[in-house]
This record gives sequence, structure tokens and C-alpha cells, in this order.
Amino acid sequence: MHWLSKKSTKIIMIMPAVILFTVFFLAPIFISVYYSFTDFSGIGAAKFIGFKNYQVLLKDKFFFIALKNTFIILIGITITILPLSFIVALLLEKPFRGSGVVQSMIFAPNVIAPILVGLIWLFILDPKMGMINAILRSIGLSDYQQQWIGGKTLTPYSVAFVYLWQVLGFYTTINMAGLRSIPADIYEAAEIDGANYFQRIRKITIPMMKNTIVINTILIITGGFKIFETVKQLTNGGPNHMSDVLVTYMYDTTFTSSRYGYGMAVATVSFVLCLIFSIIYLVNVGKSLEQKEG
Amino acid sequence: MNMKANWKTILSRCVLFVITAVTAIPLLWLVVLSFKSDTDILNNPFSLPEHIDLANYERALDTLPLFKMFGNTLIVAVFALLISLVCTFMISYAITRLHFDHAKIPNGLYLLFVSGLTIPPYIVIFPTYRIIVALGLLGSRFSLILPLATTTMALGVLLMVGFLREFPSEIEEAAIIDGCNIYQMCTQVVLPIIKPVLATVIIFNVLYFWNEYPISSVLVNDTNMMTISLGASMFRGRYSMDYSGMIAATVIIIIPQLVFYVFFQKYIVEGMTAGAVKG
Repeated sequence: MHWLSKKSTKIIMIMPAVILFTVFFLAPIFISVYYSFTDFSGIGAAKFIGFKNYQVLLKDKFFFIALKNTFIILIGITITILPLSFIVALLLEKPFRGSGVVQSMIFAPNVIAPILVGLIWLFILDPKMGMINAILRSIGLSDYQQQWIGGKTLTPYSVAFVYLWQVLGFYTTINMAGLRSIPADIYEAAEIDGANYFQRIRKITIPMMKNTIVINTILIITGGFKIFETVKQLTNGGPNHMSDVLVTYMYDTTFTSSRYGYGMAVATVSFVLCLIFSIIYLVNVGKSLEQKEG
Repeated sequence: MNMKANWKTILSRCVLFVITAVTAIPLLWLVVLSFKSDTDILNNPFSLPEHIDLANYERALDTLPLFKMFGNTLIVAVFALLISLVCTFMISYAITRLHFDHAKIPNGLYLLFVSGLTIPPYIVIFPTYRIIVALGLLGSRFSLILPLATTTMALGVLLMVGFLREFPSEIEEAAIIDGCNIYQMCTQVVLPIIKPVLATVIIFNVLYFWNEYPISSVLVNDTNMMTISLGASMFRGRYSMDYSGMIAATVIIIIPQLVFYVFFQKYIVEGMTAGAVKG
């Protein structure tokens, strides 16, 4: 394609994307890191204070609560979404009357704005007017009513459940695509050799689905770090930051308390954590994949 | 054997039924509540609404300018989509088809853009706000359009480059020999070729623009430019204790989304899966 590769053409083709990407993505990352070393409060000039924000961070009780909540959510969604989406995909693998409806239905929450998802679940989880506690009251189990949200402990678990509701259909669909890519004759050969259903799943399906499972895990973890709207709508981090996650805590310190420098330190740490997670996982899985193939 | 197989089928259908029900109940619950009065919601949550009462919906529309919010969101989505698609297409085409003196340039560009996928957008919200202020864009619709368009480029480049790499360039070469210039070639030859991947990118982007909240919440201060997600985030304040009004407003916003989903379901599901598997 040498004919087209004039210098001016190349510049015209590349520059718009590069300029936007630099101005609204690359530069902001560096600016974030820069502000995390300052005490900027929105007014006046930002003063450079070295690692002080990070030192404060290490002693910040609320930061560690947010960190803990984020981990509860990450673990909760990983151990539920991975197996459940896999099982549902297996159950839907052979089409039957209504299987299309089931698939569309469980995928539907995925297209609803996350901010509305939070609102919808408010009417289910709220201790006073929510559906769950209302059911418990009406069947005489009032003692089992819980502060599903807004209490001291349960909010992150509820947030994890809401996320499961939101994305189950999405991961099921990815798994179904993975299942379809396994050649049928492998199963047939195994069946002739006398392998039962569960043996086939364990020895054929799961190993052959390894790549899909890897992709799902990475997507779930990075997705978990991005859960924001649900927490914002359900409790807004309250009471007193008890239910904050890293991103809501960052948002709150930055935009509500105007502690921009400190907020950017929280942002930088979240970003690094998210990156480390993805890299550790990719490297480990990459190794085990190589061993399998080699 | 047959009995056993039946038993398994029944069990699997039951599991699916329960999961589908759990998915559907929150949405159905919302619709039921939207026809009830506040006192009923609190005291008598399980009674079915006595008659279809649209009062909640009327109040919802009075309290927040929902139609204006739809309009605002549409404007943002259309412009962001246009900018994002044009930029993404041009750079993807350059990466895969144009000749560079150093082979590292196209590969470097590709990696640079794709690495954007791993970064949670939250980290860049505050600096983006500063940049928007510095550029004098605060208060203009472009303060939201440009950052949102940029956020979608990473995935767009990943999908389009992936598609173009697999597609042979002979047709385009023939077109050039026949005397096409680059503009004619892109619009008349390449565009029809990349239709499938274009559909995927468009769907991803539209859903993202439509649903985006965190960036909008910082960059849009003018209530006249409020998008749907922003409006929805204010429900708890605006409707204060008017739960039924809040619920009705939520239903009004969700219905178009679900209609969009039903119509484009096949493309949405396939597109999102393709994007995820390649990503």
C-alpha cells in the first residue's frame, strides 16, 4: 500500500486519535500521579509535599475499610460468577424450547445503566421499604430481617450479589461461545471410551475452556474494581465510609471533601493494585498454559 | 436410563427457571411498585395495585425534565459516536495498511491504545476536569463528548485492527490501481468490508455513552445539559421521600433501554462477546 503512504496522509489518519488520546487519557494519568504528590485543595497553587499523602494513606482507617470491602466484593464475585456462568452455559448448551428466552432474560440487566441498577436494588435491599425484609415480615420471620445495605457488615456482600445479577448473562454468553468452539468428536470419542457426563466435563470441557476461563477471570477482577454506581446509589459509602470501596472513597475524598491531592493518591494506589492483579494472573496463567501445550 | 435422563432434564430446567426468575423479579417488582402509592409501598408492599394509576408517572415527569435528559444524552451519544468512529477507523486503518519506515511505529501505536483498556477510567476524571477547564470547554457539550469519545477508542482500535489484520488488502489495492483516491476508497471499498466490526463497535459505544455516569457527574454542571444517568443519580435528592415518583421515573428510563436491547439483541450479545473474547 505504498501509494497511499504519503507523509501527509499518514499524519491526517493518525493525528486525531493520537491527540485526543494524549489529551484525555495519557496526560491525565501523569497529572493524577503528579497531584498525588501535592496538597492541592482546589484553591491556590498545588504545593509539592513528596510522599506525605501516601504516608497518611497507610494510617487511614477508612482507606483500609474501602480496601477490605473491595476485596470482599472481588472474591465474592469471582467465586460466584465463574462457576455459575459456567453451569448456566452448560445447561443452555443444547437448545430447547424457551432456551433463547432464558438467555435473553439473564443478559438483559447488562444493558441497564449501572446507576439505575443501584436504584432498582435499593427497593429490594433497603431495610425499611425493601422487598426482602417485607417478605420476611409478611411470612412471620421478622427476626431474620437484616440491614442488607447501610449496616455495618453486609453492604459489600449485597453489592457483590447485585453485580452477579448484572453480569451473569454476559459471562454465560462468553462461556457458551467457548463451549461451541470445542469439537464434538472429542466428546464422542470420550463417550465411546465410557466416560460419564461429569468425567467429560472435568477432563475435556474445563481444560479446553481454559482460555475462556482466564479471560473471564481477568474481566471479572478488572470489572470488580470498577464497581461504582451501585455503591453510590445503595449507600453512598455510608454510614461513615463503612461501605465505601476504593473508587467511591477516591471519588468522595476528591470531589466531596476537595482533598484532591489525597484523592489522587487513592486513585494511583487503586490503579496500581488493579494492574498488579491483572499482571500476576496473566503471568501465572501464561505459564500454566505453556506447560500444558509444551 | 430414560427415567434418569428425564430427571436430569427436569433438574436443569428448574435451575434455569430459578435463575431466570431471580433475574426478572427486580424488574417486575419495579413495574408493580410504579403504580402504587407511597403508603402502599411501605405498608402493603405485596398487594397488587388496585387500578392502573398513572399519577406516579405524571409526577415523575413534572419533577425532572426526563425528555430533555433523553435529548441531552442523545446529542452526547451521537457526537461522541461520530468522533470516536472516525478517529478509531482512521488510526486502525493506518496501523494495518499504511507503510511506515519503522515497523515499530504501527505496533507501538496499537499497544499504546490497547493498553488503555486495563486502566480504570476513574483515575483520569479529576485531571480530565482540569484539562477541560484549561481548554475553556467547561460548560460546553464538548466537555463531555471529547473525553467519552476518547475512552471508547481503546476497545475500538483493538476490535478494528483485529478485524482489518485478518482481512486481505487485495481489493483495496485493486481499487487504487483503478484510480480511487484514499477518501473514495475508504467510503466505497473499506466501509462495506468492515460493516460487521463496525456494528460491534457502535453498539459498545452507544451503550457506554448512554449509561456513563462517573465522568459525566464531574464534567457536567449545567442542569440544562444533564444526561439520563446524571438525572437518575439525583432521584434520591429530587424526589426525596417520593418513592413512587422515583420508581416511575426509573421505569420511564429503563423501558427505552430494554426496547433497544430487544431490537438489537442479536448484535448486542454477539458484539459484546466478540469484544470480550478478543480483549
